[in-house]
Amino acid sequence: MSVTQLIFYTLAGVIALSTGLAVFQRQPVHAVVYLVVSFFATAVLFGLFGAPLPAVLQIMVPAGAVMVLFLFIIMLLGREEPKPRDLSTLRWIGPAVLAAVAGAAGTTLLLLPAHEATPMAMAKASARELGHYVYQNYWPAVEAVSVLFFVALAGAMFLVRDFKARPGASSDTQGEAQPGSQPGSQGDAPSGTQTSPRAGQEEAAQ
Amino acid sequence: MTAPLEHVLALALVLFAMGAFCALARRNLIMILLGVEIMLNACSIALVGASLKWQSLDGQAFTLFLMALTAAEASVGLALFVHARKRAGTLDSGGFSSMKG
Amino acid sequence: MKTLAFLTLAPPLLGGLILIATGRSLPRRTCEVLACGAILASFAAALTAWITFPGGREVLTLAKWFSAGPVTASVDVLIDPLSLIMAVMVTFVSSIIHVHSVWYMRGEEGYVRFFCYMNLFVFSMLTIVLADNLLFLFLGWEGVGFCSFALIGHWYQDSFRGHAGQKAFILTRIGDVAFVAAMAILVTNMGTLSISTIDERVITLSANGALVLGLLFLFAATGKSAQLPLLVWLPDAMAGPTPVSALIHAATMVTAGVYLLMRLFPLLAISPDTMLAVAVVGGLTAFWGCLAAMSQRDIKRILAWSTISQVGYMLLALGAGDITGSMFHLLCHAFFKSLLFLAAGCVIQVLHEEQDVLGMGGFLRKARPEIFWLFLIGALDLASIPPTAGFFSKGRVLESVLAHPGLAYRLLFILAAAGAVITSFYTFRLMFLAFAGEPAKPFTHHAAVLPAGMARVLWPLAVLALIAGALNLPAWAQSAWTGNGWLEHALATVPGVAPPEHGSHGNTAELIDLGAGIFGFALAWLLYAPSRRPGVQALVSREDGPLGMFRGGLGLDALYRMVFAKPYQALSGVLWKGVDWGMVDGAVMGAGSAFAWASRMVRPLANGKLTVYLTMLVAGLAVLAAVLAGGMR
Repeated sequence: MSVTQLIFYTLAGVIALSTGLAVFQRQPVHAVVYLVVSFFATAVLFGLFGAPLPAVLQIMVPAGAVMVLFLFIIMLLGREEPKPRDLSTLRWIGPAVLAAVAGAAGTTLLLLPAHEATPMAMAKASARELGHYVYQNYWPAVEAVSVLFFVALAGAMFLVRDFKARPGASSDTQGEAQPGSQPGSQGDAPSGTQTSPRAGQEEAAQ
Repeated sequence: MTAPLEHVLALALVLFAMGAFCALARRNLIMILLGVEIMLNACSIALVGASLKWQSLDGQAFTLFLMALTAAEASVGLALFVHARKRAGTLDSGGFSSMKG
Repeated sequence: MKTLAFLTLAPPLLGGLILIATGRSLPRRTCEVLACGAILASFAAALTAWITFPGGREVLTLAKWFSAGPVTASVDVLIDPLSLIMAVMVTFVSSIIHVHSVWYMRGEEGYVRFFCYMNLFVFSMLTIVLADNLLFLFLGWEGVGFCSFALIGHWYQDSFRGHAGQKAFILTRIGDVAFVAAMAILVTNMGTLSISTIDERVITLSANGALVLGLLFLFAATGKSAQLPLLVWLPDAMAGPTPVSALIHAATMVTAGVYLLMRLFPLLAISPDTMLAVAVVGGLTAFWGCLAAMSQRDIKRILAWSTISQVGYMLLALGAGDITGSMFHLLCHAFFKSLLFLAAGCVIQVLHEEQDVLGMGGFLRKARPEIFWLFLIGALDLASIPPTAGFFSKGRVLESVLAHPGLAYRLLFILAAAGAVITSFYTFRLMFLAFAGEPAKPFTHHAAVLPAGMARVLWPLAVLALIAGALNLPAWAQSAWTGNGWLEHALATVPGVAPPEHGSHGNTAELIDLGAGIFGFALAWLLYAPSRRPGVQALVSREDGPLGMFRGGLGLDALYRMVFAKPYQALSGVLWKGVDWGMVDGAVMGAGSAFAWASRMVRPLANGKLTVYLTMLVAGLAVLAAVLAGGMR
């Protein structure tokens, strides 16, 4: 087995493990952090597969922007107390079975000896090449994506235009219209954690 | 020489299954969205791996668009969560069942 | 002649139809005049036809009806002495009954319905009398059945009266099945349904064929004429208005069966077994009816059972081969029985709907003497007291039975003679109980005053009942001024009328008849004369006890209920509740409720929970992926 293969398996293990841990976290913040680790490893994987631009963008966008945004919102909205009945295992059976079956079926299908699994040859596509390629062949998609960004921006701003925190939240958020969360902007994270008087829920115990 | 495509796809599948599990089994809306993120990430992995296998840049291009989509969708989704939290006071998915019946 | 035949048949039909269409918008008097006028016009036409009849027999076709294969139905009329005499009798008696019922139904609201059905009934009866084509006759046959159902159940608001009408209809219908079967056999064997043609071709039948046909027609006749075994409808049919009983159960419908057999006499005559069967049915029914009549308390039921018995005598005479005797008794019976029924109707109205004989008494005779005399004339006829018509007609019947060779006919004669004793007994029991002595149930009302016409219009019937014996006096009574067996000679041209063969027996039968009448009177006097009657309590207990044991018609009705009606009702119940409600409705409702159950099972999936929806989405995708994966293998 060559080095690159070994690197792949290692990265695969990291990605799978951190994602698996993320799924079972009780607190969303912990899950987000684990996912950041997963995304970092994914970025390295992209680099291994000869896609440096996607690798960097993987760090910048999903790991850097989206996960940070998640953190912003989690902090903004505060913690919720879990309800006792969330801790039942019966809820998990269905999805667990589905996931297990899908995973097992797929992997066996792919890893069958009859299926010839030849290692891939390495290659690398520089950013310049990729950029040329995208703008030459997929420029309508690029334009569409820019429109999409604009729409998402407008939508997000509209949705949170008059956000007031719930009564009973900590005093520094009362009566203030919080600015809407925008991708990449610095929102005010409320200081400390807030406890909501309503019996909110946390994640069910795993 | 790196791993065969089948193994890459197997990894993507496992990640997809875990993301699906997270989206289905968790009650907190944030966790549901995180599951969606995981699934999108798995697709990216599969695309990049396939791109390497077939020596084509289409997969990587699609990955770029996928990331853009992820970002846009996460932002709008989280804005919706803020809105939902304001209305229902909770981020638990059981609190949004008024469309039942 | 064709015009006259048409004019005999058409007026009652037209009267009925006009009443159906416009009866409710016409004034009451107009409807009554129309109904009675139609029958009187019919009587006039029939009488004219009889008077101008040249003799012999004629078949006239009034209209074509249909033909399908070998079966031809046409409106054919058979004119011969038998049909004309019968038509005259039917229209005469019907017109008297129609006029009487104008007064009888004076307080009734449903008079349009009543007169309409009465007219249609007379039309149907005349169809039976005059028809040559058996399908045309069957039309009338069914018509009288339906009209009798409608008339018996006239006051259908009382459910038992409606049921009585249904019972009559169903039982006569059972006989009609035999009629249809006989028609089918006739078509296949003889290829014709015309009575006149049948009379000619009768010789071509085999012995078995003739026996079967004869028995089938006999069974059909027992339905209409209320003989064994289908007699159970007639006592219950007394639920109808009394003029209906007078018309249907004295003069017309019950004689239709006998008349049919007279018409088809050549068919019966070639098979001695059939004749014996007819005589046995008649004789047994005659005796059966007598026994039942002497146990009844209801005045109309006494007369009903008496009708059953007397029609039995007619059949007995026919079975002995004597059309003339049977027809003679038919005519006399029509006169005196309708007289008795109508007078009974007057009695019932006088006593404010009291029908129990034990509730009547001498006060009735003193209050309404005219009705008493009318009733007495009818009673003397029924009991065969000379010189009434009943004496001569019943004597003629006994004579013909006696004259017929064979052991069976001897036994039947003894039965008939015993029946004559009992007939006289129950007749005078009725007279003593109804018109003499103290009533067992005290009568506290005032006797109602009836319109004078109600009793007056019955006198023509009473006169005929007295003198109709002159129609056919027996040989020993004939002389220059009393006529010489007029009816005999009149009917001589009718097929099957044999020349009289009663030379050797002289007047034995009439003497026995006279003796029976007197003996019966003596028995009744012993038991029921006011001076010899026991006290009220003893009388009632005697009537309800030992002497009343035949009141249920010797158990025939109860037997039919047990053997046929109850299992049929049980089966209907099973089919109704079990099959229709349970299986058919159950299947349909079950399908519906299965769908409802299925949707109830599925409904929890739509609980609005995001997690559930996501799960279903992913599950569906998983199934899809599995299918695709399986397909790729």
